[in-house]
Amino acid sequence: MADVSRDITEVNDDPIFRHTRREAWFIMILWTACLIYNCTYCYLYGYLSHPPHPDSTGPSIGEMVGPLTSFDRDPATLTTPLGLGIPDWVFYGVVMPWLFCIVATFWFCLFIFVEDDLSSADASPENSE
Amino acid sequence: MTQTSGITMAVFVIYILGVFVLAGLSHQLLSRKSFLGEYFLGSRGLGTWALALTFAATSASGGSFGGYPSLIYSHGWILAFWIAGYMIMPLVTMGLLGKRLNQVARKTDAITIPDVLRDRFESTTVGLIASCLIIFFSICFLVAQFKLGALIIEDTFNLKWSRSYEISLLVFAVTVIVYTAYGGFRAVVWTDVMQGIVMGIGVVVLVPIVLSKTGGLENTTRELANQAPLAITSVPGPEGKKGTFNDLAVRAIAEPIPAELVYLKPVNSEAVLKIAWANAVGDGQVVQVTMATDADGTVTTTANDIKQAIEQHPEFGQILEVEIPYKNDKDGQGATGVIGFPKEASEYRYTFLHGEEFLFGPGRTNKGSPFHSLGLIISFFFMWTIIGMAQPVTLVRLMAFKDSRTLNRAMMTVTIYYALIYLPLVFVVMAARSELPLLTPEDSDRAIVLVATRVVAGMGIWHQALGAIFVAAPFAAVMSTVDSLLLLISSGAVRDIYQRSINPHVGQRTMKWASYAMTVIVGVVVTVLATHPPDFLQKIIVFVAGGTAAVFLWPMVLGLYWPGMTRQGAIASMLGGFSVVVGLFGPTWVGHGRINLMGFHPAFWGVVASLVLAIVVSKISGPPPSHLTRKYFSRASGVDQ
Repeated sequence: MADVSRDITEVNDDPIFRHTRREAWFIMILWTACLIYNCTYCYLYGYLSHPPHPDSTGPSIGEMVGPLTSFDRDPATLTTPLGLGIPDWVFYGVVMPWLFCIVATFWFCLFIFVEDDLSSADASPENSE
Repeated sequence: MTQTSGITMAVFVIYILGVFVLAGLSHQLLSRKSFLGEYFLGSRGLGTWALALTFAATSASGGSFGGYPSLIYSHGWILAFWIAGYMIMPLVTMGLLGKRLNQVARKTDAITIPDVLRDRFESTTVGLIASCLIIFFSICFLVAQFKLGALIIEDTFNLKWSRSYEISLLVFAVTVIVYTAYGGFRAVVWTDVMQGIVMGIGVVVLVPIVLSKTGGLENTTRELANQAPLAITSVPGPEGKKGTFNDLAVRAIAEPIPAELVYLKPVNSEAVLKIAWANAVGDGQVVQVTMATDADGTVTTTANDIKQAIEQHPEFGQILEVEIPYKNDKDGQGATGVIGFPKEASEYRYTFLHGEEFLFGPGRTNKGSPFHSLGLIISFFFMWTIIGMAQPVTLVRLMAFKDSRTLNRAMMTVTIYYALIYLPLVFVVMAARSELPLLTPEDSDRAIVLVATRVVAGMGIWHQALGAIFVAAPFAAVMSTVDSLLLLISSGAVRDIYQRSINPHVGQRTMKWASYAMTVIVGVVVTVLATHPPDFLQKIIVFVAGGTAAVFLWPMVLGLYWPGMTRQGAIASMLGGFSVVVGLFGPTWVGHGRINLMGFHPAFWGVVASLVLAIVVSKISGPPPSHLTRKYFSRASGVDQ
């Protein structure tokens, strides 16, 4: 295994590969943050109850997390921020992070993404316009 | 023909003519460029708008304007959570692999996904496995999409002939096969652009109209909170035959609120419908309707009969309201089909949905089980993004753009495009809910069409044209998915199997005619299969999406980013992921539910198994040949072939 690591370290100096790997890390961190925030917020603040999957084989992830009865939402507490008619948990759990993702995507495209020259990799000039 | 249907027909005709014009223009380009590269990949010449809209339109499929609005109608605001993965889908699906895949494909002049995998791992076996699995999955998916396309034509023009489905299927098939075979990839992309514009404009224009006409979301959200509990039944006809649904809606208009509604299988030639009250035991708190049967024991009672029977009890009339939901049947007689029971079922049980269940999670199916539990929450976020990234039709598009700047601009464009489509669709359907007729789960597929035609009705010819465009949008979405898949299968057979595995020295002219012929043959085969499609089409669609991800995600991702990935690891990953998905979906083919280990979707486990096998087998079988790691990961690789 040590040989493989040394070999890989020696060869992975393709600039496009290094750029795309750095960009991939940024995307995966952002994806993980979105997954955790969106799923946690909406599950905790937007559910009347927290039943496990009804047809689960083996222990359900819902059971393992717990009944979470203290987070069962009381319908009477519903609010609609800014008078838009969107339930509060959807507004803060989906709409706001969605807007954040739009900004983050533009940030990524404008300041992190490197516009590499891909034509240098062309094997056959006849297939590119 | 009414004015509205005339406008709808005009929009359809203009749209189809436009498709053929684009195919003709595309065909002219074929004669000026390298045939295979142009026919299957558009000569890697896609610009920003073409890449963005073909990417968006292809991944949309018919479900975006059929199944998705239907789910919003049936389950409410939880669908905003259900679709939330789309907030970051463009960045993940395009940004994670796009530039790197495009670079690697250029290194070896790869035209197809199996091409990329075969060259990356220098393995014919890897290429053949990838080709065969793409063809298998794509044909399964195409049968479902061809049926959907035919149903949209039949439904839109309200065709009532005895063979209307077959004729609609033929019209759909001929249209899509001809323009795809004749124009190739570029025709597909150009029509995707047109389709993407149609879909985008439809939603963007519809949002303000619906919100202003219905008084905004605030009103409908408050109305939903106070909505009376409702149970909608949808029992399949004899032997589960579709098209003879016997639908009935029971609404609780006063206390006590009923707990459930149960159809019981005929026993001693007598079937029973019971409506039981909460905490009730005893005859006084149960409505019981005896349903008639014929000599064979088949129930002959219709929903209308049951409605009348319940209404004959004045004591129940004070607390129950019985309705026949909107039925898009061709004879216009409403829910007249008789009730039938599959052999294994002894009862059908429905629970009453309360208004607040449309405002909060987890939502409930009409059989009472939670709609969006924790395992599915994680699974769906995972599926929309990570699994969406591994679909061959989207991967091919990432091989076809012309430069990095194009990819960069397209990511921003698709991000805005999805934000303007998917979340606003929730707003539109939720706002228009009170304006729509009561829909059964089956007829709710028409929710967005009904929004577009009913809510804008009476607002002048331009608004009717908008309605017609919206009627065409699902058709456009289906076509944009179908044409891409046709080319995917054709390229798999002609390029990956025939040219690269059987006859590497085949001439350009032979390849050209083989490509045309294969596209037509695949289209004809799928058309024939779609004349008698299986009943579990939706399950097939879900199976295919999960299966392709389990097969292609990790060989592609690790192949592009991990120098230590070996061909043995790629083979184990593909076959292992495929086996796990097939195994967990297995029970659905014999009429049972899929296996959700720990509450997670089978696709999730397929992808996990594929990852584990890819890493473990690569570690055991490694290291990979050094010339391959140099070729794909080194600055000095050049075009070392």
